[in-house]
Amino acid sequence: MNLQEYIELVFNDYTLRTITLGTAVLGAICGMLGSFAVLRKQSLLGDAISHAALPGIAIAFLIIETKNSSIFLLGALVSGLIGTFWIRGITQKTHLKSDTALGLILSLFFGFGMLLLTYIQKMPNANQAGLESYLFGQAATLLESDVWLMVIVTGISLIVLLLFWKELKLLLFDADYTKTLGFNTKFLDILITSFIVIAIVLGLQTVGVVLMSAMLLAPAAAARQWTNNLAVMVVLAAIFGTFSGIFGTAISASQNNLSTGPVIVLVAGVFVLFSFIFSPGRGLLFREIRFRKNRNDLQLHKTLSFMYNIAKTHEDVSHPHAIRILNNFQGFTRKSLQKLEDKDYIKIQGNMWSMTKEGYYTAANLYNQLIKEDE
Amino acid sequence: MTIKDKIAVQIDDLTVAYNYKPVLWDIDLAIPEGVLMAIVGPNGAGKSTLIKSILDIIKPIAGSVQIYGKAYKKQRSLVAYVPQKGSVDWDFPTTALDVVMMGTYGSLGWIKRPGQKQKKAALEALEKVGMLAFKNRQISQLSGGQQQRIFLARALVQNASIYFMDEPFQGVDATTEKAIINILKELRKAGKTVIVVHHDLQTVPEYFDWVTFLNVKKIATGPVKDIFNDDNLTKTYGINYKVSIQQ
Amino acid sequence: MSSAQIEIQLIASLVAIACAIPGTFLVLRKMALITDAISHSILPGIVIGFFITHDLSSPLLIIMAAASGVLTVVLVEFIQKTGLVKEDTAIGLVFPALFSIGIILIAKNANDVHLDVDAVLLGELAFAPFDRLNVGDTDLGPKSLWIIGSILIITLSLLIAFFKELKISTFDAGLASALGLSPVVMHYGLMTVSSITTVGAFDAVGAILVIALMIAPAAIAYLLTNDLKKMLVLAILFGVGSAIAGYWVAHILDASISGSMTTVLGLLFLLVYLFAPERGLFSVLYRQRQQRIEVLLLTFLLHLRNHKEEEERHVKHLNEHINWQKVRSKSVLDLAIKNNMITIDSDIVSLTKKGKKFTTKALDYIITNKNSEIENMKDRFFLFRG
Repeated sequence: MNLQEYIELVFNDYTLRTITLGTAVLGAICGMLGSFAVLRKQSLLGDAISHAALPGIAIAFLIIETKNSSIFLLGALVSGLIGTFWIRGITQKTHLKSDTALGLILSLFFGFGMLLLTYIQKMPNANQAGLESYLFGQAATLLESDVWLMVIVTGISLIVLLLFWKELKLLLFDADYTKTLGFNTKFLDILITSFIVIAIVLGLQTVGVVLMSAMLLAPAAAARQWTNNLAVMVVLAAIFGTFSGIFGTAISASQNNLSTGPVIVLVAGVFVLFSFIFSPGRGLLFREIRFRKNRNDLQLHKTLSFMYNIAKTHEDVSHPHAIRILNNFQGFTRKSLQKLEDKDYIKIQGNMWSMTKEGYYTAANLYNQLIKEDE
Repeated sequence: MTIKDKIAVQIDDLTVAYNYKPVLWDIDLAIPEGVLMAIVGPNGAGKSTLIKSILDIIKPIAGSVQIYGKAYKKQRSLVAYVPQKGSVDWDFPTTALDVVMMGTYGSLGWIKRPGQKQKKAALEALEKVGMLAFKNRQISQLSGGQQQRIFLARALVQNASIYFMDEPFQGVDATTEKAIINILKELRKAGKTVIVVHHDLQTVPEYFDWVTFLNVKKIATGPVKDIFNDDNLTKTYGINYKVSIQQ
Repeated sequence: MSSAQIEIQLIASLVAIACAIPGTFLVLRKMALITDAISHSILPGIVIGFFITHDLSSPLLIIMAAASGVLTVVLVEFIQKTGLVKEDTAIGLVFPALFSIGIILIAKNANDVHLDVDAVLLGELAFAPFDRLNVGDTDLGPKSLWIIGSILIITLSLLIAFFKELKISTFDAGLASALGLSPVVMHYGLMTVSSITTVGAFDAVGAILVIALMIAPAAIAYLLTNDLKKMLVLAILFGVGSAIAGYWVAHILDASISGSMTTVLGLLFLLVYLFAPERGLFSVLYRQRQQRIEVLLLTFLLHLRNHKEEEERHVKHLNEHINWQKVRSKSVLDLAIKNNMITIDSDIVSLTKKGKKFTTKALDYIITNKNSEIENMKDRFFLFRG
C-alpha cells in the first residue's frame, strides 16, 4: 500500500478514519496538558493515575453490567482522582516519600483492578465488557462517539487553559508569589491536576493503562527542547502529540499484528530522541559542537595571550619574533597559528611572527572579557 | 533620624509553627514608614518565615498583621515581594521580560491579559535594574546576579508602598549588589518602606537605616545607629559577636 | 490441601521474600519507582532471550532480562545527567519505550512465539506447578520454585555478606564513600539484584505486580519501625502473609492470584496507614491536634510572661489581639488552669510560679533550637495533655 492509497483509505474507511482522528485528538490534548505535568515535576503522577483508574473501570462495569465507554470513563476518573489525592495524603501525613507513595498507589490499585477484571471474566456477560482493551489499549474499539467526547473535552480544556493562562503560568513558575498577588493557588492547583487526570483517563481506551504516561510526557519533553516560550511549548507539544497519533496509527494499520498504542508511544519516543539530539538550543549534538568550539577558542586565546606577553616586552608591539620561541608553549600548533593569522591577529613571515594592532588589542581585552562573562 | 510616626507594618503577638514545631514566638513589631530595614539573625531564626507569614503565605497560629492599619488581604496592592532566588525553577520556559510582566498580574486580577500598558511598565522596570538588553533572554541563560535583578524588577513593576525581599544579595556579584542597594535607597527616598532579610552583618550599617534582630523571638528593633551593637549581636547569635561598626 | 496448592503457596511466599529484601532498600533510598521502570522494561530482554532459547525458564532469559533492567537504569541516569528534562521525566520516557519495543517484538512474531503479553504482565501462578523440573525420571518439583529459590538464596547471601555496607550506604552515602565503599558498586549491585528478582518473579506474579510486592511490604514496615533489621523482617512477614492470604482469596473468588495478593497487600497498607501507632493517619492527626493546642498554650503563657501590663493580660485580649476564636481561647485557658499554670483574677490572667518556671525553661530551649527538649519538658510539667 503506498502513501496515496493510505490517505484515500483514511478518508473512506470508517474505522481507520475514526482511529486516526481519535489518536490525533488524543495526542493533542495529552501534549497540551502533559506540558504542565512535566513542568510541575509531576511526570510520574500520570503513570500512577493511569494504573489507579483500572479498578474504577471494572467497578463501573460491575454496576451497570454493560459496555458503555462514557460510564467507564467516569469510573476511571473517580478512581484516578482518589488515587491522586491519596498519594498527596501519604506524602503529607506520613514519612513515606513521593516515589514510594506513587509506586504504592500504582501497584495496589492496579492489582485490585486485576482482581476485579479476572472476577468479571468469569461472569456470563463478560464478553461484551471489552475491559482487556484498557490494559494495552485497543484503538480499534474507538467509536465516533468516543472521538466526539475527546474533541469536546479537548475544546473545554483549551478554553480553560486560555482563560487561566496567565494564572497557570504564574503558578507553575512561582507558587508563593502567585499567592501574594491574591490568586487562589488551591483552586488553580486542583483545576490543572483535574484536567491532567481527565486527559489520562481519556487515553486509556486507546493507549492503555501501561503506556499512557508516555503519551503524556513524550510530546512535552520533546517540545521543551525547541523553545523557551511556554505558549510555543504547549502548541508544539500538541502538534508532536497529534503527529505521533497519526503516524502511529498509519504504521500499525499498514502492518499485521501491530497494536496501535505501543507504536504511537514509539513514534513519540522518536520525536523525543530526535529533539534531544538535534534541537539547536539544547540538543546534545549542538552542545557537543559548541563545547568543541569553545575548547578550540580557549586554545587559540591561550596562544594569543602567550604571544601577547612576549610582544608586550617590546616597544613596538608588531616587532617580529621567531616562531621557535613558541616551542616551549604547549598549546601551539601550526594549525592554531594559521587560524590566528586568518583572524588577522598575527602576521607570519617565514619563520617569524609578529602581532597586529588588532591582535594586541584583542589579547589585552581577553582577561577583561572573561570577567564580564563570569558576571 | 527622627522616629517616624506613621506605621507601615504592625505585627502583634505573631506565633508561627511548622508542623507544630515553634519557629517564631510572640513577635511584636512595628515597622515605621519609609525605613530601609534589615532583618538579621542566625540560620533557622525564622527570618524568611516572618516575611512569609506577613504575606499570608504561611498561616500563623496566633497573632495578627496589619498593613497601614488594615488586614493584609485588603492591602495586597500596597505590598511587593521578592522571594528567595532558589525557590523557583530557572529552567522554566520563559523570558526575562515575561517574568517581570508577572508583577502586573496582581493588579490585573483574574483572567484579564496584560496589554501595552503593562509591557511598558515592565520595560521601564527592566531599564531601572539595567537589564533591558536582556529582555528576551531565556531566564536560565542569565547569571545569578541577573536573575536577582529580574526578580527585583518584577517587584518594582508592582509599584507598591512596601517591599519585602528575601535575601536579595545571595549569590550575586559585587556590581549587582551595588545596583540593587542603590535601587533600594532610591525607593526609600521616594518614601517607600523596604524590608530585607539579610545575611552579611558587615554591610548592615552601610546599607540600612533600620534593623531587626530576630532569633525565634524578636531581640531588638530600631535605628541601626542606636541598636546595631555587640550586645544585641551577642544576644541574637548566642556567641560573643564582634563587628566593627563603621559610622 | 492438594500438593499443587501447597506448591503455589510456597512459590508465592518465596517470591514475596525475594521481593521484600531489595524492596526495603529501594524504599529507603527513595528509588521505589525504579522498580516500576525495571519491571516494564525487562520485557524486550525476556522476548529476545526467548527468541534465542525458545524456553521460558532458561537461565539465559533471566540474564537477558536483568541486562535490560540494568540498561534501563543506565539510560535513565544518562538522560538525567544531560539536564534536558527533569529527573522523573527521564524514568517516564525510558520504560514505556522499552516496553513498547517488547510488545511489538511479541506481536510481530506471534506465530512462532508462545509468549502472551498478559502472562508477562499479570503472571499465572496457577499454572506454575504443571511446569516441572525432571532429572531423568525423578520429579524435582516445579521449575519456577527452583528459579525463585535460587534467586532468593543469592539475594539472601548477598544481604548477609554485605548487610553492613548496604546499611551504611543507604543511610549515610557520604560516610560510606569515606570508608571506601563505592556508592556506584552498591547502587548497581542493588539494581542488578532488583532486576534479577523482578525477572524471576515475573512468571509467578507478573511484571507489574512485582512492584507491589517490592514496595508495599517495605512501605508498610516503614510505617511501623525505623530499625532496618526489624523493617526487613516485618516486610518479609507482610509479604509472605499477604501471599498466602491472597492465594485463598483468589481461590474463593476464582480470580487472579496475583491480583488478590496485591489487594490483600492494599488492604494491609490501608489498615497500617490509618492505624499505625506512631505514624498512622489517626495517630498523626491526634498528635497534631494535641501539639496544636499545646503550642497555643505555650504561646499564650509566653505572651503573659512578656507583658506585665494588665490590659495585655485581660481575658478579652485573647480574642482581640492574639486573633483567636472564642472556642480556641477557652480550651487554651482551661488547659492552662488544669495544669496550674495560670490564675484568673477578675478576668486578669496571671502566671503562677509553676507557669513562670515552665515558660523560662521553654524559652531557653526555643532560643537554643532544642525543640525536642520541649516534648520532655511537657511530660514533666503537664498533668493533663491537650
